[in-house]
Amino acid sequence: MFEARLLRSSILKKVLEAIKDLLTQATFDCDDNGIQLQAMDNSHVSLVSLTLRADGFDKYRCDRNISMGMNLGSMSKILKCAGDKDTVTIKAQDNADNVTFVFESPNQEKVSDYEMKLMNLDLEHLGIPETEYSCTIRMPSSEFARICRDLSQFGESMVISCTKEGVKFSATGDIGSANVKLAQTASIDKEEEAVVIEMEEPVTLTFACQYLNYFTKATSLSPQVQLSMSADVPLVVEYRIPDIGHIRYYLAPKIEEEDS
Amino acid sequence: MGILGLSKLIADIAPHAVKEMEIKNYFGRKIAIDASMSLYQFLIAVRSEGAQLVSVDGETTSHLMGTFYRTIRLVENGIKPVYVFDGKPPDMKAHQLNKRAERREEAEKELQKATEAGDTASVDKFNRRLVKVTKQHSEEAKQLLKLMGVPVVDAPCEAEAQCAALVKSGKVFAAATEDMDALTFGAPVLLRHLTFSEARKMPVQEFHLNNVLQGLELKQNEFIDLCILLGCDYCGSIRGVGPKRAIDLIRQHRTLDEVLKNIDTEKYQPPTDWDYERARSLFMEPEVADPKDIELKWTDPDEEGLVKFLCGDRQFNEERVRNGAKKLIKARTGTTQARLDGFFTLTTTPNSKRKAEEDKKNSAKKKTKTGGGGRGRKPK
Repeated sequence: MFEARLLRSSILKKVLEAIKDLLTQATFDCDDNGIQLQAMDNSHVSLVSLTLRADGFDKYRCDRNISMGMNLGSMSKILKCAGDKDTVTIKAQDNADNVTFVFESPNQEKVSDYEMKLMNLDLEHLGIPETEYSCTIRMPSSEFARICRDLSQFGESMVISCTKEGVKFSATGDIGSANVKLAQTASIDKEEEAVVIEMEEPVTLTFACQYLNYFTKATSLSPQVQLSMSADVPLVVEYRIPDIGHIRYYLAPKIEEEDS
Repeated sequence: MGILGLSKLIADIAPHAVKEMEIKNYFGRKIAIDASMSLYQFLIAVRSEGAQLVSVDGETTSHLMGTFYRTIRLVENGIKPVYVFDGKPPDMKAHQLNKRAERREEAEKELQKATEAGDTASVDKFNRRLVKVTKQHSEEAKQLLKLMGVPVVDAPCEAEAQCAALVKSGKVFAAATEDMDALTFGAPVLLRHLTFSEARKMPVQEFHLNNVLQGLELKQNEFIDLCILLGCDYCGSIRGVGPKRAIDLIRQHRTLDEVLKNIDTEKYQPPTDWDYERARSLFMEPEVADPKDIELKWTDPDEEGLVKFLCGDRQFNEERVRNGAKKLIKARTGTTQARLDGFFTLTTTPNSKRKAEEDKKNSAKKKTKTGGGGRGRKPK
């Protein structure tokens, strides 16, 4: 028996919004510690890694480890049926073919349940090596979303370069070029609005704007976003979801062609 | 036409081995394309009001139109195509080729009948059946591809076999052809429908040989025997043995020699002088050029050359040709997207629950006897 209850469905709704453009289907691995999801998009360019810890749920029970393959489009449709303030409970029997979502309105007057068929998916697991990143940048998530949106008008790819002075985002295309520079915030009044850069050595990498724009769908989950970069390895974009876990996106860089 | 009923058999027994992909998922991949197969597709499909496109002198240009625009589409999607052309057919295919020639004659007669009767639908149908890729078509396509900066490989024999060898050697990611024999020749990855028209919205089918073998529970040499039993281009097969029976027989007896010893040859008559051993060795050691000696190089297109070649007598629109050349150049510049597989290690474990269900289904199927079913081979 698996049962997980969240006081506010909005977190789950936002999580779904944050992954459903990248993935069409994914496996939710549930165990004692919580719910994990790890999946790559079809073209194997990006990876989503989601963790929702058991202690972040209002109630969490998982008797046996269970992997539930879900069609994210269908799941998103179901979650749209929940009100933002509704309580949501995810339920499944051990070895079940279905999962049930129960939504309860705050005053308990309305209870609705939705059952969804599970999919038998292959389990694709990427072994991600522990990496020490040369640069980590923390910045307001809305700022990052804004930059990605603005720069994607100029070109298909965006260069992120991190130096002592700060971090620079740039894009070039048919209409011209765009550069956005952010300096480290001098005095931190509000942690949420700070730009903090930790740098061992400067890094410059190029990424596809399209994917970054998919990642910024997670903006509403967290006020801050953290970018981690090292030369020639995938970028990590992490959003911490307050009190319950995090969602991490990995994105393979674009590389210069050595032979043509 | 490849292996009779193999794709259906795989879809039934090992659905896990086939993936449907979008063309854009293949960016950055080098792909060997069976040129004869795609030229044939273009001759059939690229038409205006039912007739092939022609130059001022009445020479067909459908294949050039197709090669030009569909190659551009591949390149724009970040794919690096290599076209592999057929060499001389193996002697063992002669029988098959004769059959095709007979069919062609039949179609020609039918065509005459239909023309006399004024039945336009049938005229169109039989016209298409008469389509053949000639040496001239291939030569023109090669010339065009060279102008486009796309590498061309001349196979000494069968193009599918050469494509398979290129994939095996790691020179390219996959072989693109409609012929399933690419798998029999041992190509680890086969793509179908890659060069189909965009308008048809047909997803690309990706076959992985190791998944196919796993799903069918066969080794490569057993798989080759299965393909021969299903019906290949090089020799006949046993009458009355359909796909279901073929896979059961091979699974039970493991080789064709054992199958022959154990079945009732009165009921299932193997063809006289059945030379399956030669067909088998043809699949195992096909005549191919050593991939090590093949250098694949993509270069910038020759815009003026393309205009000279395609416009003028062949009546292509100059502006569109120049635009195409620009697209080719644009796709060559800039950076390529890397994949995560290169950075992380990927492990795929098939879903245990589904595996159990499939096994149950398959064993249930085994019990129900199925006959040979209707068979008929389409001319190439």
